[in-house]
Amino acid sequence: MDYAGPLRRLTLAVLALVLLGTFLLWRIDSPRVERFRAQVTDQIVPNLDWAMAPITGTINLVRDFQSYRRIAEQNTELRRELRQMQAWKEAALQLEQENARLLDLNNVRLDPRLTYITGVVLADSGSPFRQSVLLNVGARDGIVEGWATMDGIGVVGRISGVAQNTARVIMVTDASSRIPAVIQPSGQRAIVAGDNSAAPPIDFLENPDLVRPGDRVVTSGDGGVFPAGLLLGQVAADPGGRLRVRLAADYERLEFLRVLRHYGTEPVSDAGGVLGTDPTPQLTQDTTPELTEVTE
Amino acid sequence: MNDQAPSRLWVMRLAFSFLVLTILFLHLLPLQTATGGLIWPDFVLCFAMAWSVRRPEYVPAVLLAVVFLLSDLLLQRPPGLWALLALIACEKVKSQSRGLRDATLVAEMVSVAMWIIGVSIAYRVILAIFVVDGTPIGPAAIQILVTVMAYPLVVAASHGLFGVRKAAPNELGSKGVRS
Repeated sequence: MDYAGPLRRLTLAVLALVLLGTFLLWRIDSPRVERFRAQVTDQIVPNLDWAMAPITGTINLVRDFQSYRRIAEQNTELRRELRQMQAWKEAALQLEQENARLLDLNNVRLDPRLTYITGVVLADSGSPFRQSVLLNVGARDGIVEGWATMDGIGVVGRISGVAQNTARVIMVTDASSRIPAVIQPSGQRAIVAGDNSAAPPIDFLENPDLVRPGDRVVTSGDGGVFPAGLLLGQVAADPGGRLRVRLAADYERLEFLRVLRHYGTEPVSDAGGVLGTDPTPQLTQDTTPELTEVTE
Repeated sequence: MNDQAPSRLWVMRLAFSFLVLTILFLHLLPLQTATGGLIWPDFVLCFAMAWSVRRPEYVPAVLLAVVFLLSDLLLQRPPGLWALLALIACEKVKSQSRGLRDATLVAEMVSVAMWIIGVSIAYRVILAIFVVDGTPIGPAAIQILVTVMAYPLVVAASHGLFGVRKAAPNELGSKGVRS
């Protein structure tokens, strides 16, 4: 038994080195380790789904039961809201028809590639300090890092970490989330920066005087990661006077999320060939011979 | 004595692994998708500490390292760092376990609480040194506090549910020597 003590110390030293090495590797080459993390999650969490689904269902049932007790007053409330909604629906239909007519007149072609895949929420982040969820769609379904996810109304977050069968969505409320946005109708550009609170603050706003609580906040598409024009929420001012976004998506009960396919907006790189005097270089496929001629 | 049979040893090691998997499973249930949820104690650390004090042979260092690294990976923490610190804390507590065996629960709690707090502070300091976005200080402090407060409950659960008790001074260790 003489070797037990040194052997134990040696094991401990090796383990400590491995763990420290993992952390340093993560710090230096984060994407590689995060991919490994996604693969580990991919191996474990979908296998637990058979147990997670009934437990989640039962707990949600118990939670719902509390709201069942107020069902009568909710009913009258809903009826009143329904009447208002019908008025809105009428207005929306008219606007939709008008919009379609105008688009037709202008010969506008909406981006046909903006389609979506719907995924089921498998698990949350497991920590109160991280705001993310795991979806049951992954590389198998063609999910790509950076795609936007919505709950049907508003933006929920961005895909970050794709494994074969699962993908992680970093939510807008997470402290590491930064989303370029435009505030309508003033057209002010800003960044919606998550800070682990339910309503993320608006940063880098050029002129706060032009922004009023209640204004709509939509994604601007700057940076090319997100498609433009997705609804984030409404501007609200907190008691300290700081502008925040009251998010449109319902974060309380996320079950299904839409992942928007987005292949990026193609950049316009050539500088105004129309204005040039000689249109021939635009017509030829290979411009290098032309260039050499010019230099000669 | 049957209690110290090798099969019992492996059953308890397996039980610890399942216990941690259950805790992680409960953390990952998609019930808390909005912000501002309850801050739960770090039960994995609590159980690891409680078992390290009572029966170090049930939680060997390799098992602890694997379990901590897995929880780092699944709970979206920087992988490795918390695992390393928690492992060091558990091993230190193990080396003190002979002294703690005779101590009262209060003395044990104080000792464990010091380790939990020390490790949590070290974690934050190291994250700051490596310029990693850590958690905000308020909720992190609350988590340390509830983890320390959960420790007696975890000890009671280990004692009652898993039969993890302190070895009596005259009891033989698993390898036939006095532990």
